[in-house]
Amino acid sequence: MNAPFYKFGFFSFDVSLIVAFVIGIGFGFMLERGGFGNARILAAQFYFTNMRVLKVMFTAIVTAMIGIFYLSLIGWVDLSLVYLSDTYIVPQVIGGLILGFGFVIGGYCPGTSFVSLATGRYDGLVFALGVVAGIFVFGELFPYISDFFYSTPMGKVRLNEWLGVSYGMIVLAVVLMALGAFAAAEWGEKVMAKKNGGVIE
Amino acid sequence: MKNLFEKLSGSQKLAAAAILLGLFAAFAGDPFDNTYTKINTKEIALDAMNNSDKVDVRELAEWLIEAKADFRLIDLRTEEKFNEYFIPSAANIQPAELMNANLMRNEKIVLYADENTTAAQAWFLLKSKDYKAVYILEGGLDMWKDKVLFPKLASDADAEEKMEFAKFSEVSKFFGGMPQTGLEEIDKAEQKLPELKLPASTTLDIPKKKKKREGC
Repeated sequence: MNAPFYKFGFFSFDVSLIVAFVIGIGFGFMLERGGFGNARILAAQFYFTNMRVLKVMFTAIVTAMIGIFYLSLIGWVDLSLVYLSDTYIVPQVIGGLILGFGFVIGGYCPGTSFVSLATGRYDGLVFALGVVAGIFVFGELFPYISDFFYSTPMGKVRLNEWLGVSYGMIVLAVVLMALGAFAAAEWGEKVMAKKNGGVIE
Repeated sequence: MKNLFEKLSGSQKLAAAAILLGLFAAFAGDPFDNTYTKINTKEIALDAMNNSDKVDVRELAEWLIEAKADFRLIDLRTEEKFNEYFIPSAANIQPAELMNANLMRNEKIVLYADENTTAAQAWFLLKSKDYKAVYILEGGLDMWKDKVLFPKLASDADAEEKMEFAKFSEVSKFFGGMPQTGLEEIDKAEQKLPELKLPASTTLDIPKKKKKREGC
C-alpha cells in the first residue's frame, strides 16, 4: 500500500475525478465549519482583528507537512511522485498580490467564495461570478501576457533545495514559524480588541 | 510533570506535539532517499519463472498492426543505434534514466534492447520500484529482425510451415522488412533495415493535462 495512490495505479483517471470530488466536498465542509463561509471573518484577517484564517491555514500546513514527512520517511508515500507545480517567482509574487487585493476587497478567496455560495450567501454568489469573469478575461489575455507568465522560471524547487539545508530542518523551521505566528496573532488580536473597546470579532 | 501536562490547554498540547515532531524531523533523515528499496523477491521470481513477463515479437507485431495504444514500448539501446532503426512507436530511454523517465506505474511497459540481458536488467529495476506491468520483448531486436523483418523459409519446410511463412511475409512487409525465401544463405550485412518513416517514434512527454491550480 503506497501513496500517491493514483500514480501507483490503484485507480484510473475517471475514478480519480470522483476521489477529487469527494475530497473537494470534504474540504469545503471543513472550510465552512471553520467559519470561512463568512466574508467578515475572512476580511477581519487583514485588519488584524480576527486571525482565524492564519491560524486555520497554518495549522493545516503544519499538520499536512508533518504527516507527509513522516509517512514518506517510513516509506508509505513516495514524495518524488507528489505533484509539485513549477515556480515562476516574479509573476507568482505579483499574482499573489493581485489575489490578495481581491481577497481584501471581496472578502473571499476563490475557494471560500464557493463555500459561502453553497450556504446561500449572495455576496458569495457575486464573488463566484467575479471569479468566473476573471478567469475568462485572463484566458483571453493569456497570449499577450504568456511571456511574463513564464518568466523567471525556477523549475520544481523545494525550500530545502533552494536553501541547501535538509528537509527535516525546513519542517522544524516551518513548525517554529507557525507557532510564532500563532502567538503573534493572539497577541495582535488582544491589542486590536483593546483598541476597539474590548470586542474580539 | 503530570501537573504541568494537565495545566496545558488543548492547543498548547498540540503545539508541544508539533515542536517535538519538528525537532525529531530535523534529525530524522531524508524522505527523498529512495534509491534504497525493498522488493518482493518471491513475486519477481515467480514472474520470471513462468514467463508471464515476456512478449513474443510476433505478438508485438500484431499489436502494432492493430494500432493498440495500451502499452509503451521502450528502446533501451544507445541513441545512435536508436536513430538507425527502432521498432515503430518505441521511445528511447537509457537504463540509467528509467527512474526519471515519466513512466506511469499503472501502464503496460514493454522493454527491448538488442538481446535479452539489458532488457532483463531494466525489467528488474522497474519491478523493484513497483511498476506493475513490465514486459520484456523476448529475444529483443535481434529476434525482431529474425522473425518479423526478415523471416526465413527453410528449404525443407512442410505445407504448414509454408502457410505460416506466407502469413508472416505480409507482417514483414507491413514493417518494411523482406521475407527470405532463398535456399542459399543470405549475407546478414545485406539485410537492409527498413528506412524510418516519421513520425514513428514517441517521446515520453505525457500530454500535458490542464495544470492543476492550488489555492485556498
